[in-house]
Amino acid sequence: MKVSKTGQRIRTIAKKELIEFARDWRTILAILVIPLLLFPVLFILFPVLLESEAEERDLMELNIEIKTNLDSSEFETYFENSKLNIMYSSLQDENLSFISEGETDELRSLTIDAILKLEKSNSTFIYSLFYLSTSEQSLESRSRILLILEEWEKVEVETRIEGAGLDIEETLDPIRYDGQYLANDVATKGEQSGMILSLFIPLVLSVWTFTSAIQPSIDMTVAEKERGTLEALLGLPCSRRELLLGKWLAVGTITAIGVALQIAGLLFAITYLASTNLFSLPSLSALSLFLLFIAVLLFAIMVVAIELAIAIRSHSVKEAGSILGPAVLFILFPALFSQVINLDNIESFWFAIPVVNVLLALRELLMDRVVFDHIFIWISTSLIYAAAAAIYASRQFKREDLVTSIS
Amino acid sequence: MVEILLTVRNVSKQFGDLRVLNSVDLDIQKGEIIGLVGSNGAGKTTLLRLLSGVYLPSEGEIRFENGESIEKARQRIGVVPESTGLYSRLTAWENIRYHSRLYGVSDEFAWRRTSQLASPLGMTDSLARHTKGFSRGMRQKTALLRALAHSPHLLLLDEPTAGLDITSARTLKKLILKLKEEGGTVVYSTHQLAEAEQICTRIVIIHNGDIRGNGTVKDILEATQQTTLEGAYVHLTKDDARPRFEAEEKSTKISSWWRQLFTGKLPPTVRGVDESE
Repeated sequence: MKVSKTGQRIRTIAKKELIEFARDWRTILAILVIPLLLFPVLFILFPVLLESEAEERDLMELNIEIKTNLDSSEFETYFENSKLNIMYSSLQDENLSFISEGETDELRSLTIDAILKLEKSNSTFIYSLFYLSTSEQSLESRSRILLILEEWEKVEVETRIEGAGLDIEETLDPIRYDGQYLANDVATKGEQSGMILSLFIPLVLSVWTFTSAIQPSIDMTVAEKERGTLEALLGLPCSRRELLLGKWLAVGTITAIGVALQIAGLLFAITYLASTNLFSLPSLSALSLFLLFIAVLLFAIMVVAIELAIAIRSHSVKEAGSILGPAVLFILFPALFSQVINLDNIESFWFAIPVVNVLLALRELLMDRVVFDHIFIWISTSLIYAAAAAIYASRQFKREDLVTSIS
Repeated sequence: MVEILLTVRNVSKQFGDLRVLNSVDLDIQKGEIIGLVGSNGAGKTTLLRLLSGVYLPSEGEIRFENGESIEKARQRIGVVPESTGLYSRLTAWENIRYHSRLYGVSDEFAWRRTSQLASPLGMTDSLARHTKGFSRGMRQKTALLRALAHSPHLLLLDEPTAGLDITSARTLKKLILKLKEEGGTVVYSTHQLAEAEQICTRIVIIHNGDIRGNGTVKDILEATQQTTLEGAYVHLTKDDARPRFEAEEKSTKISSWWRQLFTGKLPPTVRGVDESE
């Protein structure tokens, strides 16, 4: 027999936790498969779905009513090819903004998708448009009618300008931009992509790091208490610190795999979008990539230690869940807040605030801005916070009341 | 010559205001089977947890042979807690191997030892099965195999036969007796006086945190002037037994008030009956 060393014991604990975790397919699905598919679904499938829905809407034949005393030949050509079935009726002596009960019923029962009331006062056409905002068909009818009216108005304006002997372009566009808006941006496409990604990747990464660690943290600590497996473990020749480190390693590995899969899904989605010219790959230096990894790692060390400490401190799985679930707000709010902070000439103290420091670091690095003052501050403060969290977790693991029944 | 394996000197254990064990003195000799007998809440499990190093004494000290502390001697102790503590998503063998590895024992050694012991317990075919569907008896047997796989010098068993059917309990008791024949030392907590009388070489009666009796059945009967162990037990534990405690949660005023807000009152008729009685 040989006595195992600390490292071996930590590895044994972590390995067992990972094996147990891997044998629960529901947890695997929730923590590993979902993050992998999240971004591809969001960036690829969702736009495809939106596009097909839009196509379907374009093909819809819709019923509208036009109430007017004008001769329809004045405007009906604009309604051609609009897939609108038009029912004409005369406008009674009424205020244009008035809608009768019968008309309301027609719109609510979807018999008619929109009602356009139109009249002419001197040389001005005046209209009102009634629709049901809770109906897709009605909204689509409204949007088609507004497009037609816009087109009609454009023709009418041009005709009147010409009639007055003026040049259309000079009259309508007297101050003109010379050049192309996008081409005049000196930021490269890669930098622009980095800017866009920096607005949501820190948020998603931080929230996911926190949420993906909740379930394994609870399962490996307070659930062990409830199942009675912890007592057997505490009697073994391994220290509480080894126990904490083994469990921390396991939760950290699961979280890291979840985050890595999420990044893989994100890269796949970005590469797909880049191939369709909708988006470019962000231009990041090797140093930025390395620092991004360090930032996420330090954040994960702190988060996992805090979650393990809270979970082991709880009296039941239910209690741990009801504390750690809402605790995600402590990540979400700083994450949302840090999105609106202006990074140009930012004060250094922001990089010392817990959670905010890592989120701002991620934002800067995704924009490929390597500011050494900021890096020094967020790395040193993150190390302090991670160490404090680890000490707190270690204290919780040393509590004697981990096994509570006294008999 | 009597060889002392473990010495418990003036050990007390306090949780908040609750003194669970009072100045316990106990010497455990090599080759003994000691039965810790007592009611729920007597302090048996607390004493076993102190012996296994899960708890530290509030007062006094516990020393293994050669003056070693429990922390250092854990390597030579095997524990079966009341809950058995098996991982349901692991097989019986994986459960055993996990603990063996933490004891620093090679997989080969643990497997050889487990194979030898599993056969008389009828567990050989179940070693590859996940413990999720195991009966209480199979769980106890697996936990026992797990506690023995590293060849401990001292085996601590907390209510090992609780909830077992007669056959399983008998098999388990046979194995414990066999361990004694091989020179093993066992500390065994139980409610069952008959069981303790049957297999233990010495009985320690614990009541409300105090050791009230300590010796062979004959010693206890003589000391109490009783003819049966049951009579002796009743004689030694005349005062009311305290209830089994859960470690008290620190309750703030707000949480007490909140809990009270959603706590109903007893129906008036029941209260009336109680009062009239």
